[in-house]
Amino acid sequence: MIRLDNIEVSFGDFTAVPNLDLDVRPGEFFTLLGPSGCGKTTALRTLAGFIQPSKGTVRVDGKDVTRLPSDKRQVGMVFQNYALFPSMSVWENIAFGLRVRKEKPADSDHLVRDIARRVELSDEQLSKNVAELSGGQQQRVAVARALVLRPKILLLDEPLSNLDAKLRHQLRQQLKDLQSEFGITTVYVTHDQDEALAMSDRVAVFNKGVVEQVGTPQEIYDRSATEFVCNFIGDSSQLTPEFVAELNRLSGAGLDTDAKSYLRVEKASLTPAPEGGPAVGLPCTVVSRTYHGLHSRYVVRSHGAHLRLLVKEDGGTHHEPGTETTVYVQPAHVLQYHPDTGAALQQRDQAAVLP
Amino acid sequence: MSGTGVRGMVRSPFVLIVGAVLTWFIAAFLVWPNINVLIATFFPDGSFSGRAAEKLFSSQRAMKALGNSFLLAVALSITVNVVGVFIVLVTHYFRIKGSRILFLGYASTFIYGGIVLAAGYKFIYGDKGIVTSLMVKVFPGMDPGWFSGFFAVLVVMTFATTTNHMLFVANALKGIDYQTIEAARNLGASTWTILRRIVLPMLKPTLFAVTILSFLTGLGALSAPQVLGGRDFQTITPMILTFTNSPTSRDLAALLAVILGLATILMLAVMSRLEKGGTYFSVSKVSSALQKQDITSPVANAVVHAVAYLLFAVYTLPVVLIVLYSFADGAAIQTGQLAFGSLTLENYQRVLTQPSGLRPFIVSVVYSALAAVIAVGGLLFVARLLQKYKNWVASVFEYLLHIPWILPSALLALGLIISYDHPNPLVGGAVLTGTTVILLIAFVTVKIPFTLRMLKASFASVNSSLEEAAAIMGAKTLYVFRRVLLPLVLPAAAAITALNFNSLLDDYDTAIFLAHPLVQPLGLVIKANTDGAEGVDGVANTFVYTVLLMVITGVTMYLVYGRSSRGKSKKKRLPAVPPAAPVPGPGLPGAPLAGEEAAQTAAPVR
Repeated sequence: MIRLDNIEVSFGDFTAVPNLDLDVRPGEFFTLLGPSGCGKTTALRTLAGFIQPSKGTVRVDGKDVTRLPSDKRQVGMVFQNYALFPSMSVWENIAFGLRVRKEKPADSDHLVRDIARRVELSDEQLSKNVAELSGGQQQRVAVARALVLRPKILLLDEPLSNLDAKLRHQLRQQLKDLQSEFGITTVYVTHDQDEALAMSDRVAVFNKGVVEQVGTPQEIYDRSATEFVCNFIGDSSQLTPEFVAELNRLSGAGLDTDAKSYLRVEKASLTPAPEGGPAVGLPCTVVSRTYHGLHSRYVVRSHGAHLRLLVKEDGGTHHEPGTETTVYVQPAHVLQYHPDTGAALQQRDQAAVLP
Repeated sequence: MSGTGVRGMVRSPFVLIVGAVLTWFIAAFLVWPNINVLIATFFPDGSFSGRAAEKLFSSQRAMKALGNSFLLAVALSITVNVVGVFIVLVTHYFRIKGSRILFLGYASTFIYGGIVLAAGYKFIYGDKGIVTSLMVKVFPGMDPGWFSGFFAVLVVMTFATTTNHMLFVANALKGIDYQTIEAARNLGASTWTILRRIVLPMLKPTLFAVTILSFLTGLGALSAPQVLGGRDFQTITPMILTFTNSPTSRDLAALLAVILGLATILMLAVMSRLEKGGTYFSVSKVSSALQKQDITSPVANAVVHAVAYLLFAVYTLPVVLIVLYSFADGAAIQTGQLAFGSLTLENYQRVLTQPSGLRPFIVSVVYSALAAVIAVGGLLFVARLLQKYKNWVASVFEYLLHIPWILPSALLALGLIISYDHPNPLVGGAVLTGTTVILLIAFVTVKIPFTLRMLKASFASVNSSLEEAAAIMGAKTLYVFRRVLLPLVLPAAAAITALNFNSLLDDYDTAIFLAHPLVQPLGLVIKANTDGAEGVDGVANTFVYTVLLMVITGVTMYLVYGRSSRGKSKKKRLPAVPPAAPVPGPGLPGAPLAGEEAAQTAAPVR
């Protein structure tokens, strides 16, 4: 569907995207994820046609659209700030593209009302000025405006970042539902890993203009391909060589003690020992505990490592700071990366890992 | 992003047409007239000549005028700062009883400036002035001409020029993080120490900038020395005017204009450097608003209150008296004795119904309205293109369009006179000098830098994603401009038009050089009335003109700025002009401080 080949984007002497290759499949919800300034928005704007790459090609359905202006690419875009025209009503905003195409007024009205209904905007809201709408409603207007032209691709540039956390969660699902309903190929930009994992079919993780990994949310989370991805996604603790060596000694696992080793916070537990599975217990001292209702966050010290743990609260044992206890870890859960290149050293057999 | 480069620019037919018109306008009215002044000065006969310089050095009158201008500039820089800083402190920093009333009094110069203010002071304190007549009755031995010469010019210009302090220094003071003051107090600093060691140093960059603006105002002074300077105190600009009117002395006028221009450029370059290097920014994440300080010493407190109210009287007395005497009959104006029972609307009836009274007003209104609309209408396209295209061609255009900001109006006016007093191919072989068109051209020209800067800021404030959103739906450049950008910029454009209109209404400095003898705008008529040309009726007319100008200026300022302090509910009123955003790319010399737009409403006396 969409193919970015060897794309390079430079601004003067600064190269924002050095060499980007991406494939987006038809109907897919594809997310470009990364921290600020990593090149994800640049990649999206290159795809939209707002930025001309200095090298490489952009293909849509096999057709080279690199030199085509944005309006000839059949893409619809929802901007970070929605870019609604403040001098126009909601109806006029949605109808803007139809009027540019000189659609008949009656047809335009029909199309506008149809798309408005599907994004849950009422007739009354259509006559309002966009400034009179709430953030969530404005977002729906922006989506309707993009979709009314029936684009092949929908581009979404951090459309939830202006909203409060509760509304963001609600609209996530609405966006995903709309995407499924229209079956439209969607490229979504965000720096929020939760959003990316919750909404996407596949995710590309960006770092300094380079794609570190492309995969399903689960692949990205469980089998982070690089040390950057491992750190950017989820919450992990770095293990010391001493800790890894002790783990090897107790379990017979062949973990590399020279590698950079990480353990996700939910992949370890404290006494009592988990039932079944190949978990290994190591003595530790509780440094701190923070209660969060459903779970508690612990920091424990063991063999020079400070491990952060997320432990489910079931009303059972609490471990107060200063107490000696045992931390249980499965060697297969340890993520290891080359100390120089940051590349993953091995893919663990997930079947051997406790759920 | 090659779209904003030179190639992207020349691909658009719209840009090419606007560029061609702009190039002609800049060449004809901004560049060629000034080059012509240099030619008239140094190459009067086609080869280099130092004759103008020799004439200047041998002319005692011209050299004295030159000396007087620099003396006035230096003195004004000091007096304006003393008065300006004081009024800013008593209205914004110290807890002074009635500070809001004081502010209104000191802010009267926002709606009352230029030739009108100079004339007003003369009518009040001049040899036949209302206050002087009363004082002579009390002190028969006193000199009725006490308010003239250097002293009078300095006093009038000092009180007129504090507008800059009210705008810029007050703004800088409000920007100080109060936590720094609290910290200093916590460390044991007294009120005086905090003011001297914390507050004033933070205001230093702004004070330097307004000092230079005051210096330039003094250097280019025209109406105040003409109205109040008398024979003994004349300055460069009135001298340029005198020499311009004599064909044999035009080279001398040109040289004086060049000297004035060079001094202006030099001072603006210094200001630009100071602006770049010396602005203090609050480093706190959450700064807190300034709170007014008590003056702890009762004696100091009483003295400050007394001086503050004395200054209030100085500021407001001319305004109050002009309003009152605008309703007075001729006898009251002549004797200075006003009986409330004899107040009449006759003066207003005469001005608003008789052709001789109404004509200058209409001339000024028409000139100002035309110039304001042409400047804004034309620059809407130019500002948009300069905001969109960022390349060296756009930068050169932008620099050239700021010429009126870096050169004094006398130099520009002289350039136009010299360039178009004979058939000139740049304007289709027409002669413009002596016609009614040349003043309109000059008015449009002098409004270009302010208009361009404000419109560019206005376009820049429109989020670029709006344009992208329209483009991705297939809208073409002109359609986007018409349907998306223009509706957003139009309210600001209307406000800029209103401000331009206001500032041109009582213009004197440009009109005195270029106005048609039979189509005299208000500024010239007011000046003539100060010379007693029209007798008591002329004085009364001037009072009425002044009141009408104050009302128009006040209403415009309310429409443009009043809204910002009253929330967002009243949508129909003109919106506030956007803040003058820093011009990306070239750092323009002489670029205004934030708030410059407000200063457009009442130019200080020159």
